[in-house]
Amino acid sequence: MSIRSYPELQETLHYAKLDNGLEVFVLPKPGFTKTYATFTTRYGSVDNHFRAAGKEEVRVPDGIAHFLEHKMFEEPEGDIFSVFASQGASANAFTSFDRTVYLFSAAGSVEANLDTLLNFVQNPYFTDESVEKEKGIIIQEINMYRDNPDWRVYFGLIEALYSKHPVHIDIAGTAESVSSITKEMLYECYYTFYHPSNMSLFIVGGVDGESTIERVRANQAAKTFAPAGPIERFFEPEPTEVRQAIKESKLPVSLPKCLFGYKDVPGDEEGENAIRRELAMKLLLDALLGSSSPLYQQMYDDNLISDGFGHEYNTGPGYAFSVIGGDTRDPDELVSRITEALGAAAGQGLSVDVFERTRRKKIGAYLRMLNSPEAIAGEFTRYKLRGGDLFRVVELYESLTLDEVNAHLREHVKPERLAVSIVRRSEP
Amino acid sequence: MTAEHFERGSVGRMRLHVLPTKRFKTFALSLYVGIPLTESRVTPVALTPFVLRRGTASYPETISFRERLDELYGAGFGFDLYKRGDYQIVQFRIDIINDRFVSSNQSLLREAMAFLGEVLTSPALEDGRFRARYVESEKTTVTKRIEAIINDKMRYAAERCIEEMCKEEPYRLLALGRKEELAGIDADSLYREYQNWLANAVVDLYVSGDTSLQEVQTLAESFFKLPAGEPPRYSQPRMLEARKEPQTIVERLDVGQGKLNMGLRAGISYGDESYPSMLVYNGVLGAFPHSKLFINVREKASLAYYAASRLDGHKGILTIQSGIEIENYERALGIIQEQLAAMQRGEYTADEISRTKAMLSNQLREIQDSAYERIGFDFNNTLSGSERTSDGLREAIESVTPEQIQAAAQQVALDTIYFLRDRKEGN
Repeated sequence: MSIRSYPELQETLHYAKLDNGLEVFVLPKPGFTKTYATFTTRYGSVDNHFRAAGKEEVRVPDGIAHFLEHKMFEEPEGDIFSVFASQGASANAFTSFDRTVYLFSAAGSVEANLDTLLNFVQNPYFTDESVEKEKGIIIQEINMYRDNPDWRVYFGLIEALYSKHPVHIDIAGTAESVSSITKEMLYECYYTFYHPSNMSLFIVGGVDGESTIERVRANQAAKTFAPAGPIERFFEPEPTEVRQAIKESKLPVSLPKCLFGYKDVPGDEEGENAIRRELAMKLLLDALLGSSSPLYQQMYDDNLISDGFGHEYNTGPGYAFSVIGGDTRDPDELVSRITEALGAAAGQGLSVDVFERTRRKKIGAYLRMLNSPEAIAGEFTRYKLRGGDLFRVVELYESLTLDEVNAHLREHVKPERLAVSIVRRSEP
Repeated sequence: MTAEHFERGSVGRMRLHVLPTKRFKTFALSLYVGIPLTESRVTPVALTPFVLRRGTASYPETISFRERLDELYGAGFGFDLYKRGDYQIVQFRIDIINDRFVSSNQSLLREAMAFLGEVLTSPALEDGRFRARYVESEKTTVTKRIEAIINDKMRYAAERCIEEMCKEEPYRLLALGRKEELAGIDADSLYREYQNWLANAVVDLYVSGDTSLQEVQTLAESFFKLPAGEPPRYSQPRMLEARKEPQTIVERLDVGQGKLNMGLRAGISYGDESYPSMLVYNGVLGAFPHSKLFINVREKASLAYYAASRLDGHKGILTIQSGIEIENYERALGIIQEQLAAMQRGEYTADEISRTKAMLSNQLREIQDSAYERIGFDFNNTLSGSERTSDGLREAIESVTPEQIQAAAQQVALDTIYFLRDRKEGN
């Protein structure tokens, strides 16, 4: 076990890698009442073509990681939510492109809740009947998202940007793909990706570091897992240009929704360089498009954007792209105004003043985030999966240079890597 | 660790509530300005915070206003607008880093108080009124916000259900006001409404962080230029009875999934003695994944991804919401009504009750770990004139009996069924 202190942040992180390969992190928050724990597997919607050590290569239906997440909550003795509830914990889970996360939040019975979390995720139980039943629920979830214009415009952009990489596949799949899922497929995915050596546990809140790790160690020592070899994941090569320049759909919305972004060439997706690039890109987008930028204010004054206008930079295994936009009266004008401004900024580079002010803002926002156990757990795991350390973010921000940031900007803003997604108004 | 608690004071008409604590990395400021929700004032009051966030006397240009926040280490600034009970409330927030985490030579609490005080009481003016350019621009923004409600069908259905249910009272109004009234507002009339608002509203400033009542009091005296007078108080909501026969409203839009929403009158509000029973009732019925609605609509019948109930304790309204296949409307409605009836018959197990109590207790304990949630909990008291502590509420929940849950169930009356469905005719 190791302990790492971050005195400038007043945080201490306890860490152990258990014999079965599970990595355990505990961040005690003295004085906190609640404990928040996430149990994460490096397995998400993009992992649809793989080979477990010593097994055949397989392709699985779209949406299966998410389906598996739903089905994990069922145990032979019933629904696991009830067990958490009787222990005063609220439990949940989510599936993203590159991970599946099971979590609980509780103000008491932390040890019992930790055991419940570990035990239910490590005890798959699927029947033909319960798998069939889940399909109706998940199809309603898919339908809910289909009616949601924010989701549609966001996913439309990813579909326009990527032609081969599975990031363009809807996390929940489609009614058809979900209908084809069987309990055998679920078991196969489970045994490939839910081995402790592919997982990590993060616990933050009013707990003691050492005894919490010992509790987890005892829980894991009582179980046996077949040794696991490496998992091979297959991704077809993704072309550098976008799949289609523009993608449109229609929904009953009050104003058109428009998101656009640039696809970055896959470079470092892991390790410190990847994290630096992500921080640099987020700083850049905020400096150029944030609510204190001249461009934002001009577009707002021209009634081209609204409060919901925003930007993000999204990266994971084999993908990295920016997302810019919001509701607008004129998608074409929005895209041309911003792309021209970004092109000009790439030529001139960011000024020192703007760079410093935005850096200070980013560091402040990061420190504020550390008030939230949920945000810490989510971000810590995201950084961890990519070989980074959440608690070094201030250090990295401070070490960014203006030249480095400007180089990223020039590299990012390439017209052939731009795609636009629009949801236009249908008659309501 | 010694129990932290709010210290109270006042500056003119504004009440102060200060939570000295070293637990968080920030100072959290929350300013509540509440006024009775009325047809005549709802729109100008809604527009006011949008204009106030455009500029202050010291930072009159929006861009300098925003840059100032960036300089304060990216202080989180924002506002919310909502209905609570029979009030329309504007809440401003600033979340700012405690100086000890950054090499700052200024007191960030002082800077945040100065900024917030100016936002509320020293806005950017021209010729003794609001800047016309800001007013016109924010009228457009509010219009767009109101129109955008339809984009999110879950929210749209929830708002429409309340509008239909509360047709006869101001609560039918959106906190954002009425679109058709915006055109008639100008910089002059809005500035008068704003002064009137400041003179009549109930104003509460909450500050949490490594500070004291005395420090906050001194800063508030310097930076908040409020009209003189004694702090007013909130009064209690008017409770209407459910209509004799529930109404059913069906609305058609271009949607794939149907949204089934229901509005019920609970007959009691936050300050009532039987409020804890109503909380447990709502928990057994539909607030959690172990609740009857989730189990019966989702897990057993596979009809929905979400099926839940929500208690609005300040207005005494309970709502139910679910997203379903359109053709399953009758079935889903039947299952939900059966759960309501089962509650009235007292059909719930000791397990259902104890799980619900454990979850409610957990929620109340978790509030302690978030400055804004603690402020929000305390503001419930301020608003309802009660003096509940979270421990006191937990004890009251713990002692709720099955009979009291049944009594709560019998008080709950269905008023409105609202169904948002597709455009296809025929079924």
